[in-house]
Amino acid sequence: MRVMKGCLVLWLALLARQATAQARIDERWPLDPGGSIRIVNPFGSIRVLGWDADSVAVSARLGTRAGRFFAAGDGHVRKLGVDGGNGEPAELEAHVPRGATVWVKSATASIEVEGMDGTLDLSSQGGSIRVVGTPQDLTAETMDGAVEVAGGTARARVKTVSGDILLRGASQDLGASTLSGRIVVRAAGWQRGGTGVQRGKFESVTGDVRFEGELGRGGVVEVESQSGTIEVRVPASVVADFDVLTIAGTITNHLGDAPPKPRAAGTGQELRFSTGAGGAQVTVRNFKGAIVLGPK
Amino acid sequence: MTYPHMDAKLNEYVDGTLAARNRASVEAHLAECAGCRTAVAELRSLSAAAARLPKSIEPGQDLWPAIAARIRPRATWNVQRVWWRGAVAAAAVLVIALGLYRLLPPSTALYRPAGEGWVAVQADFDRASDELSRILAVERERLRPETVALLERNLAVIDTAIAESRAALARDPASAELRRFFAAAARQKVELLRWAARVAAS
Repeated sequence: MRVMKGCLVLWLALLARQATAQARIDERWPLDPGGSIRIVNPFGSIRVLGWDADSVAVSARLGTRAGRFFAAGDGHVRKLGVDGGNGEPAELEAHVPRGATVWVKSATASIEVEGMDGTLDLSSQGGSIRVVGTPQDLTAETMDGAVEVAGGTARARVKTVSGDILLRGASQDLGASTLSGRIVVRAAGWQRGGTGVQRGKFESVTGDVRFEGELGRGGVVEVESQSGTIEVRVPASVVADFDVLTIAGTITNHLGDAPPKPRAAGTGQELRFSTGAGGAQVTVRNFKGAIVLGPK
Repeated sequence: MTYPHMDAKLNEYVDGTLAARNRASVEAHLAECAGCRTAVAELRSLSAAAARLPKSIEPGQDLWPAIAARIRPRATWNVQRVWWRGAVAAAAVLVIALGLYRLLPPSTALYRPAGEGWVAVQADFDRASDELSRILAVERERLRPETVALLERNLAVIDTAIAESRAALARDPASAELRRFFAAAARQKVELLRWAARVAAS
């Protein structure tokens, strides 16, 4: 009887250990400073960190049912990740050359990228995406995760279905699109090392859009929504041409004395004014939501 | 890569309706920007192709059953399924691209009389949207339940937006602004459907 009890305890202990056991992977491969890397991890988290080394170092923690770790490639292109899991999360962290081209894909895993200067293509179904650094070119898409981009990009294109988007820093060419998420843009000007937004296009269907910050000289910014509230906050001294229209909503202008006029069609309002020649061009369109212009 | 703010200018440039002073600046930009040069070439090609189109396009009534029949035996027809899905999606996108192109203001696109153009555009969009929806319906079971719920919620949101734009356009069919709103909502819907189909297929 005592032996049986002992066996049972041992079996249960082994079972518990197996249930909580995690595979730990630590691998390193050479990769050109301008090489490409593709990372896939459906569930859990993906963290990519730029470093000044010509190699990729990966550490991953996988639960027993999180699938298997795989890696393939050479010094120019490397592909790695987790596949074959049943939904159990895996944590994956990769140090990659700062200037590399990075492609990341997840189902619900969160994606976090820091310190990269190269091209980033990040895609998730439901995970959040966070980028801190100065990537040359960024594409980020997630259905219902939130996206945050901080730092500065030469070009960024961000898209969600219902996830909120926050873009802050000294980026030049920005594009953000969402259906029902909220877009907030905080654009840094020269005081913080930026040039202001040179090109910006922000669009939503029902989500609110708030643009706050500096406009580049000669910059072009377009903001459009179907029913979300659009708020544009720029320095009171900004030099720009404003072209603002709503089909069925209202316009509130705190940037100058120009009052909005009723549209000729009978509903909605429009407003066109300039605070000086040779500045930026701001176009705002809202179907039925409110538009607010004001100083930041 | 093209720049969003150049879209209208490039359209006008291709149509030959751009003011002389803007024309010079566009040409200067084109000299430096390969993406915009490509866009101009595509616009010229599209414009030429659109000019050759008949005034109305009648789709084959039996298109879908044939496609569905090929899609159904999934296990053995995987390659064909992917090919057909891609082909139909491409066709749908082409149809809607032509439709949305026609929605642009008269100075930047092929102008059609208000009534005829609007009816044609509605038909184009409905057809493309329906085709993509059918593709998605076939793949739907491969999406996570929460993704399906998200998709349905947001398709409802965008359908409301499209209905609003459509109703406003019905009252004021010549409004370039309303066309733009409709085009934006229609594009969002097509992109959402394509996105969902892509996720389901991956």
